[in-house]
Amino acid sequence: MSPSELTLLVLRLGFLLLLWLFIFGIVYALRSDLFGQRVRKMKTDAPATPVPAAAFAAASAAPAAAPAPARAAATPTPPSSVGERATAQNATRLVITSGPKAGVEFPLTTESITIGRSNDSSLVIRDDYTSTHHARLMLWNEEWMIQDLDSTNGTFLAGSRVAIPTPVPLNATIKIGATSFELRR
Amino acid sequence: MTLNTAATSAIPADPGPKVRLPQKMRNLELFLLLVACGINASAVVLVQLGALGEIDTTLLFLGVTLSVLVIALHFVLRFVARDADPFILPIATLLNGLGIAMIYRIDIAVQDSGWESAAVRQTAWSALAIASAITVLLIIRNHRVLFRYTYIFGFLGVLLLLLPLVPGLGKEISGARVWISVGSFATFQPGEIAKIALAVFFAGYLVRNRDSLAMVGKKFLGMRFPRLRDLGPILVVWALSMSVIIFQRDLGTALLYFGLFLVMLYLATARISWVILGVGLFLGGAVLASQTLEYVNGRFTNWLDALNPAVYEARGGSFQLVQGLFGLAKGGLLGTGLGQGRPEITPVPQSDYIIASLGEELGLAGLFAILALYLLLVARGFRIGFAGQDDFGKLLAVGLAFVIALQCFIVIGGVTRVIPLTGLTTPFLAAGGSSLIANWIIVALLLRLSDTVRNQPRLVV
Repeated sequence: MSPSELTLLVLRLGFLLLLWLFIFGIVYALRSDLFGQRVRKMKTDAPATPVPAAAFAAASAAPAAAPAPARAAATPTPPSSVGERATAQNATRLVITSGPKAGVEFPLTTESITIGRSNDSSLVIRDDYTSTHHARLMLWNEEWMIQDLDSTNGTFLAGSRVAIPTPVPLNATIKIGATSFELRR
Repeated sequence: MTLNTAATSAIPADPGPKVRLPQKMRNLELFLLLVACGINASAVVLVQLGALGEIDTTLLFLGVTLSVLVIALHFVLRFVARDADPFILPIATLLNGLGIAMIYRIDIAVQDSGWESAAVRQTAWSALAIASAITVLLIIRNHRVLFRYTYIFGFLGVLLLLLPLVPGLGKEISGARVWISVGSFATFQPGEIAKIALAVFFAGYLVRNRDSLAMVGKKFLGMRFPRLRDLGPILVVWALSMSVIIFQRDLGTALLYFGLFLVMLYLATARISWVILGVGLFLGGAVLASQTLEYVNGRFTNWLDALNPAVYEARGGSFQLVQGLFGLAKGGLLGTGLGQGRPEITPVPQSDYIIASLGEELGLAGLFAILALYLLLVARGFRIGFAGQDDFGKLLAVGLAFVIALQCFIVIGGVTRVIPLTGLTTPFLAAGGSSLIANWIIVALLLRLSDTVRNQPRLVV
């Protein structure tokens, strides 16, 4: 039984359609790569959500770790102890000081830390002001440097905008979007 | 359905144990993999309906073997690389399966069967290739292990490249001396494996030495050119490529290695002057070769003057190239349908010219679908490199992806008369064991890299 011309024509077109459906299926699954990560709406005027303190505050016995989000965001003046640069030896953690997750800590290793809205960043910040790939913290000669990855709204180190890779002092505030954080011992 | 959406709601409570999420990405991969296997099976069915008018049991062997193998690879990933990229494996599977279907179609036309049949051999090679991919995934648990053996890989790459020149071991097929024969049974192209070893070597070497290559030099015409003493590595690779052109008589392989090195050098240093220097060197060498070496000159004539009847009729002339173009023209927009064209008229329709064969039977629409698959595969590789945290991983991922891209460009560009035709295999599609093994190892390395990239401490704000 040989298939008719018509059957073959339909099968042939069906096969091409199937191929393209497969491709568009992949592209659909990849759309956040192409159009950037979706923005999550954040309650801007509500006070910062209380952090499940037990887990995070345990390690940070220092009083400085107490979240004071509203003021920290408004006054970008660097803390008094600024001066000593953060190095691989003296900085052990990244502490979020303002924003919705104030008080949360993140351990520093020798790996660089990417910051941005995309899912593959080490520190994912999803707000309206953060770019998909916003900034990068990395070790240069054992010193932590912050590099802005050509973000739309900029990265601020102790109140001034970061243009070139800049060494980060200990306890200096780095501000990205509505979130600020510091490198601490 | 965004990847990793579950991660956004789960804040890692403490940096120690990571919250294990359901394997969303692996499930997506399994789904795409099943679709890809379905498309592969239907391609074989269409070939049989078109060429034989009936469906027989060869289908079972060709369709099921590959599917079982890739699903085995998928389950290995579930255990050893659970965060690996979910798109690479289905794309590679589909390309491999389409290749087998097309090779099977040529087999029907030239009436090969049993172990003579190229499709059966291709399936066997696929099994071997996927087994080597699984081995690579199981052995290399972290890509930084490769960084430790940078220079060993460099040595290995050059050794593999020169192996075909060893008398008694090397074998010359249609003018190019790039094969070695193991016994009288199988021939192998060590240069295919060499490209992986060289990619590892280039990545490791450039990470170690890029400062001197990137920072110093004189400014000229707004670009910073490297010092004369830093030109060493580029000249060494250039000499290596030129020796491939002269002694192995293989233009495509030389272009592949040199292009790979150039792109990785550019990535590591971000200096356009390296690219200009490199392209200049290669073009100079190629022009010189076309003047002095007869076979290179012939390639250029066939390319520029393909439709001239004298060139078309000549021995070693443009017959193959033009025949391939006729095939593509016959295919038109939607193709003649699988099994219903005459791709077997072109010489070597199942290896170098598989793109022309597919273009004839699937048409422009099908050919573009295949190119889109390559595009997605390469884009995933670049993406893995972009998201990578360490420089070695970044360079390696982009280098491996770029090898696939450049190889596609060289082969498909040659077949469609964009550049002079050179003998290279179309990745995954073309009949040829060494190429399949090399490309599946590249897939395994990309999967490993993508797993490491995602598998890092994360904090979501």
